[in-house]
Amino acid sequence: MAYEITLLTTMAISVLFALSLNFITGFCGQISLGHAAFMGVGAYTAATMMKASISLLFVIPVAAVFAGVLGLLVGFASLRVRHDFLAITTMGVVFLFVGVVRQQEFLGGEIGISGIQQSVLGRTGFMLLCVVLAGVFAGFSLLVKRSWLGFVFDSIADNEDVSQVLGIDVAKYKLFAFVVGTATAGTAGALYAQHYRFVGPDSFGFVESISVLAMVVVGGIGSVWGVMFAAAVLSVLPLLIQFVDDYKILVYSALLFSMMRFSPDGLAGIVQRLLNRVRNR
Amino acid sequence: MLYLELLFQGIVQGSIYALIALGLTLVYGLLRILHVAHAALFTLGGYIGVIVTNQTGSLALAILAAMIVVGLVGVAMYKLAYEPLLSKPPFIALIASIALFIAAEELFRIIFGPYGLSYENPPLQGGFEIISGFFLKYGEALVIILSILILSVLGWVSGYTRLGVSWRATVTDPDMARAFGVNTQHVRYLNFFIGSALAAVAGVLVALLNNLVEPTMGSVPSYKALAIIVLGGLGSIRGTLLASMILGVIESFGTIYIGHLLDRDALAFGFLIVVLMFRPQGLLGTR
Amino acid sequence: MTMKIGILGAILGVSLVAASAQAGTIKIGFNVPLTGFAAADGLSAKTGAELAVEQINGAGGVKGDMLELVIYDDQASPKEAVPIAQKLIEKDEVVAGVSGSYSGSTRAAAGIFQEAGVPYISAYAIHPDITRAGNFVFRTSFVGEVQGRAGAKLIGESLGLKRVAIITLKNDFGQALAAGFKEAASSFGIEILSEYEYSIKDRQFGPIVSKVRADKPDVIYASGYFFTAGPLVSQLRAGGIDVPIIGQEGYDSQKFIEIAGAASEGTIITTSLDRDSSVAETQDFIKAFEAKSGQKADMVAASAHTAIKVLAEALQSSGASDRAAIRNAIAQTNLTASTGQISFNKLGEVQKSVQVQIVKDGQWHHHSVIDDAELLSPPSE
Repeated sequence: MAYEITLLTTMAISVLFALSLNFITGFCGQISLGHAAFMGVGAYTAATMMKASISLLFVIPVAAVFAGVLGLLVGFASLRVRHDFLAITTMGVVFLFVGVVRQQEFLGGEIGISGIQQSVLGRTGFMLLCVVLAGVFAGFSLLVKRSWLGFVFDSIADNEDVSQVLGIDVAKYKLFAFVVGTATAGTAGALYAQHYRFVGPDSFGFVESISVLAMVVVGGIGSVWGVMFAAAVLSVLPLLIQFVDDYKILVYSALLFSMMRFSPDGLAGIVQRLLNRVRNR
Repeated sequence: MLYLELLFQGIVQGSIYALIALGLTLVYGLLRILHVAHAALFTLGGYIGVIVTNQTGSLALAILAAMIVVGLVGVAMYKLAYEPLLSKPPFIALIASIALFIAAEELFRIIFGPYGLSYENPPLQGGFEIISGFFLKYGEALVIILSILILSVLGWVSGYTRLGVSWRATVTDPDMARAFGVNTQHVRYLNFFIGSALAAVAGVLVALLNNLVEPTMGSVPSYKALAIIVLGGLGSIRGTLLASMILGVIESFGTIYIGHLLDRDALAFGFLIVVLMFRPQGLLGTR
Repeated sequence: MTMKIGILGAILGVSLVAASAQAGTIKIGFNVPLTGFAAADGLSAKTGAELAVEQINGAGGVKGDMLELVIYDDQASPKEAVPIAQKLIEKDEVVAGVSGSYSGSTRAAAGIFQEAGVPYISAYAIHPDITRAGNFVFRTSFVGEVQGRAGAKLIGESLGLKRVAIITLKNDFGQALAAGFKEAASSFGIEILSEYEYSIKDRQFGPIVSKVRADKPDVIYASGYFFTAGPLVSQLRAGGIDVPIIGQEGYDSQKFIEIAGAASEGTIITTSLDRDSSVAETQDFIKAFEAKSGQKADMVAASAHTAIKVLAEALQSSGASDRAAIRNAIAQTNLTASTGQISFNKLGEVQKSVQVQIVKDGQWHHHSVIDDAELLSPPSE
């Protein structure tokens, strides 16, 4: 049972993380190739605080705030550059983050921070906390999607210039998306630090940013349920397919490629097509 | 003398970056796709270079073989991976490209083993002193010479031949070009072929300088080349060349003098972000 | 009819139980990087460990029970290592674990093993904090600092060279070595002219080569793995630098010599595998490894082999049922293995002499041994 609890916790944290990117990229159309940096900010903040024996309940909001502040800065960058330029800028953010972090001795340098204490909630309690947080954000995402805010985001994602002309304060909404998305990533980071009990500069780099983007795209960019499902499955896939061992990364990338090639709107798209087929019987 | 050497090292590194990034720019200019998998072609070029040299003893043959084979593989990549995705949003092609790259790296590891390959009789070892105190390795000299040669040829073809004109027309306005009878499909194939062949040359040269090809040797170029083409201004060939050289030199001096503050990648991307904040279109990009 | 089936079932059941009781297996967890940048070392470590298991099982196993390695690929990433450690402990219920991986992942996993009260042996990861995870964690190879200190003695005293340029790999491995070296440098009269750092992804060292040549040192102390050291040494020599280059166990592989080619001649390293050893265990290991894998033996493989042997030895005396007893048995180890005489101090660190090897005629050979007990004493807390 203990192992299954671990898996569930991993999945919940990944779901939260993927949904946070979905908010920025899926809802508001701002492509980010550096999302792991925000999780990293949250994780490092949390790790430092937890080593100083500060309680998790206090740690989480602080981690979220720190991540959100960095997100605001990057959000400002998104006002300057668009699309491919933005994608590469966000990529730059994560390399800068990793590069700076590995030089700081108080953050553990190359070695990172280890030996974080087990949560007072215990394994099961912590798992429930993660699931609840993921669920809350999922619910929030669904609400936003159906609200006027969702419409505004859609419009911006579709065409920023037209939206501006229509009287939408594009800058304000983009910044909002970034702040919410990155603060949530920071929360996921704090949970990560508690769960793995170890944070290091190699845990929040370019590869991790691509992995979470893959979760969003495979789920179906913008689709809350799709992203949740994809994140849950992809986060534990390496563990589940250990028997393929030597070939597991090959299998993962082949699946990812096939998904892009044959169903670019992700799992949500597949489900949608199946439902249509059934309805049109 | 030291500064001159460091500058030179930067130019050597910049030349290699240029050979890789050019292919990426060629693809982007034509299709607006960020062709991350390009770095896998770089690695493939390296492997072919070592294998052919070890089999035949001729570096020249190896370079030729690498260019041809990798060029063809590049065209195949376009046909199988990108052509079907042209109508979709660009980030789909980006993720597909990344997936392709990861798969390629794994295939290299599975087929050639994780240990990497080396030249059995490494050609062009050692170096010479150009002027007192200024050392240059033969391999480095080859990099500079080949790069200049290749770029000149490309520049001439692009500017003065029918082929070059067709290519430039297709980049500027594909429909117009088609209207004038240019076979845009052929132009695309050629584009990928040339870009990939250049990456292959870079692969063979890097293999020469390090005497090692590894499955993961494309990881750094995969994102570094992206930074370079953005820095130069997406789609601008001159911009790419300029950015490659600048970055090469910055890294060269940076790793010695500010290496304790930031590592190579952070340095490159930090520089990129600063430039983009002042010139969002890149150094030579057009708005 | 039902009676017949019943009896058949009972016989089947009993024979199954009897069979499983006879061919007992002892599961040992093994996390190792099989994919990713460290895959080369991972493959060596895995082969070394598998060789040890084959040899032990071939000789009758541990009190009749066969050893079984439960191998998972951790990609040398702490993020992968943590769930793997948990899976090994909770799902596979291993009696003990061995790490065939680098420091980052070993450290992360060590915490999990310690907390679960399952013994864990680090084969070659050198970071000092690994054994500080607790008394269930042991290490069969040198702590980084110790090897660094040995390097200082080698350079300052044995070789008598004083002006050093240090080139450090910027990760826990390289930094731990550099820290130990710098700590002991002054006591051997060494003057550190300069220190340069490079990242594990770098293979082009042009700028560093130029700068080092300008520094004109008597000797270079460079840390790295064979895939970084090979290109580095090759480029240093091609850049006209003739002074001795001193490395560490990260170089310890035939691949280093293959990559650097002629430039590798004369490179000296501190390590734990002596190719010219007269000790039977070492020679047997070298021959057996080459026969099994077709590759020449390296330090990583030898260390993994040693770690398994240490564990098996402990299991012989403690049995496989009580993990605390296994832990105690490991603490009492006094074993001759391919990488030296293994016994542990209070912290679980090993104290043994440092082998110094040199590349001669394209092969690793014995150069000297460093035996200073005080210099080489590992931390005890």
